[in-house]
Amino acid sequence: MKKFLVILILAVLGFHLFEAFSGLGLGVTRFEKGVKDYYLEKTVSELHVANTVTSIVVNFRGFDTLGEVTVLFLAVSAMGGILYKRRHQTGDRSVLFSSSSIVRSGSKLLFPAIILLGVYVFIHGHLSPGGGFQGGAIIATGFLLMLIAYENFSVSHNTLSYIESFAGIFFVGIGLLGFMNGGTFLQNFLPAGVLNNLFSGGVIGIIYVMVGFKVAAELTGLIYTILHEKD
Amino acid sequence: MVGSPVLLIAIPLLAAFVIPLIGMIWKELVRIIPGLVLAYMLILSATLLYYVSYNGTIVETIAGWQAPWGINLDFSPLTGFLATLMSALGFLVWLFSYRFKRNVDFEPAKKYFIFLMLLIAGAIGIVITGDIFNQFVFIEITGISAYALTAFYTGRNSAEASFKYLMMGAMASSFLLVAIAILYSQLGTLNMADIASKMHTMNPTYKIIALIFFITGIGIEAEIFPLNGWAPDAYTEAPGPVGAAFAGIVVKAGVYAIIRMIFTLFDVPGAYDFLIAIGLITLIVAETSALRQEKLKRMLAYSSIGQMGLVIVAFGIGTHEGVFAALFLMLNHAVIKPLLFFSGSSLVFNSKKKQIAEMNGLGKRMPLMAAFFSLGAFAIVGLPPFAGFWSKLSVLSAAANEGLLLIIVLILIVSVIEIVYYFRVVNRIFFQEYSKEQSVVPHRPRINAMVAMFVLAIAILIIGFYPDAVTGILHNAAKDLMNTDQYINNVLQLGQSLTR
Repeated sequence: MKKFLVILILAVLGFHLFEAFSGLGLGVTRFEKGVKDYYLEKTVSELHVANTVTSIVVNFRGFDTLGEVTVLFLAVSAMGGILYKRRHQTGDRSVLFSSSSIVRSGSKLLFPAIILLGVYVFIHGHLSPGGGFQGGAIIATGFLLMLIAYENFSVSHNTLSYIESFAGIFFVGIGLLGFMNGGTFLQNFLPAGVLNNLFSGGVIGIIYVMVGFKVAAELTGLIYTILHEKD
Repeated sequence: MVGSPVLLIAIPLLAAFVIPLIGMIWKELVRIIPGLVLAYMLILSATLLYYVSYNGTIVETIAGWQAPWGINLDFSPLTGFLATLMSALGFLVWLFSYRFKRNVDFEPAKKYFIFLMLLIAGAIGIVITGDIFNQFVFIEITGISAYALTAFYTGRNSAEASFKYLMMGAMASSFLLVAIAILYSQLGTLNMADIASKMHTMNPTYKIIALIFFITGIGIEAEIFPLNGWAPDAYTEAPGPVGAAFAGIVVKAGVYAIIRMIFTLFDVPGAYDFLIAIGLITLIVAETSALRQEKLKRMLAYSSIGQMGLVIVAFGIGTHEGVFAALFLMLNHAVIKPLLFFSGSSLVFNSKKKQIAEMNGLGKRMPLMAAFFSLGAFAIVGLPPFAGFWSKLSVLSAAANEGLLLIIVLILIVSVIEIVYYFRVVNRIFFQEYSKEQSVVPHRPRINAMVAMFVLAIAILIIGFYPDAVTGILHNAAKDLMNTDQYINNVLQLGQSLTR
């Protein structure tokens, strides 16, 4: 009876929500005067950035990106904190087992290519699709592959935490430099360059490279922590 | 000027990234730096609040883009008051927990201080931001720090509490995102002032759906009634000072977000009555649950939820007096509840079960802690010479001005319940015999904890004997919240509005 009531209530709620959402028209260009046109225009005319998504993520809403980077940092630290005790109490036994030689030699071949692709994606974040988050995630998959293929492949936790911290410090530092030079936090204080060149968009490219390093280090650390959780 | 509002966010984030590096040089710095940062935030926000109360709201743009396009921070008498309150409390929580896990375990201690600092920075961000998606990001920062701090002792119970909180928080985040998506799809902007100025063009059905998603999402942080299942567990399982930070800082940020939505953004008819109804239910359910609790921290948690219910009722009255009373309640709760948490967790420090029954006769063994706890208890139930009296009085008079007799009667009845359960504890502390088998082994808190509690106790007495010290600031803040047009103008006068 109780279950039936719950299902009934959920069904009524779901019906009304569906009705409302089907009329909402998400993605339909209905409003002419939203913020979007301004973004599209200023990205090219003022920031000289080819990828509008990047200019919105890193410049117009760069403060959000700083927040999201912090969220990732917090989540990874929390994960490490929760799994911390178990790692120190028990012996040094890994949940992994050795892979076949096909996987091992294949991953040796693929690893540099994956890293190169990741670096390419975040360096060209302001020119082509992709950016710091995507590039960082690609690099982390490379490390995941190596960790799966080689039982004793290890990543230095100290190095990861250096990269993570320095990337974060540079991000906030660039923001503060803009604050001192141009007047507002995260403002672009470098010359914008020529559209479609690698060195264009001022601080946008630099920030995205920092984000790439940070995300790569954090996700790699996360994978390493989870895979080497001893039970 | 010592700086601008954005430094309230940028400096703690910078420090959070610096701490892991600097901890490799000298471990003590991991404790010292958060304190310096919080002290700087306190000085900065207090100076800015002083500046703002004479010169009007500071609206700061970020990344050089004007209000509707870029993100802006809004440091007004209201948000400045809350930011100052939060950074002051944050500093005291840091002071109280300075020796936390010192010389015991370095790695957890480092994480504790990072999480604590970002919890406070996130809560301040929720308050001072003027952009709805940016607020969502700060809710995430606060939330994740809070889950991590809840799970801090990595035991079975704390894992359960944290998991519960995490699940509810994750649901809340997705609800918030849906609400933001609805607003953006209808109005094409994420800036709060711009949304407020265009809200009248939105279809009422979507408006109500978005508001419901918002309130469900933020209600989890604000501990309103059906959504607060995580709170008692989280308060009980988290380390003692963290409970104080939850009650004093995180919940305040949640309540602020709800109030900003209802007062400024959405002009939905009946929203104020909804606030009164939900607040009363929260108040009554929480206080009657508090009456039945055996564990001290659970009792304090329920009492905290109840107080937030009362705050929401006071906001729901909707007049200047009501808002003033609600802000006064928030201030008093932020001063009194941490004192109760600090002294309470010192009283039951050596106990495994943290039961109220174990507190028999502690008044003779730990007179100062017992005195602090009873001061807090007297103040929060609203006995005359202490701080809580004035805020309850102003709630009652605000309700009386509007002729809401039912509210007055209910608040008085609930106050009696409150007196019963707080005095039950005070009675055990002072008038029961100490017995070696059943009572807690006394634990002497360190000097830094003593100083933190002493500051709070002094604040309670000052507000109690001389309420005029704070009422000016509160009146300014209340005026600021009520004046929606001015909020919109402040933000949008910088750039030209999109649609006017």
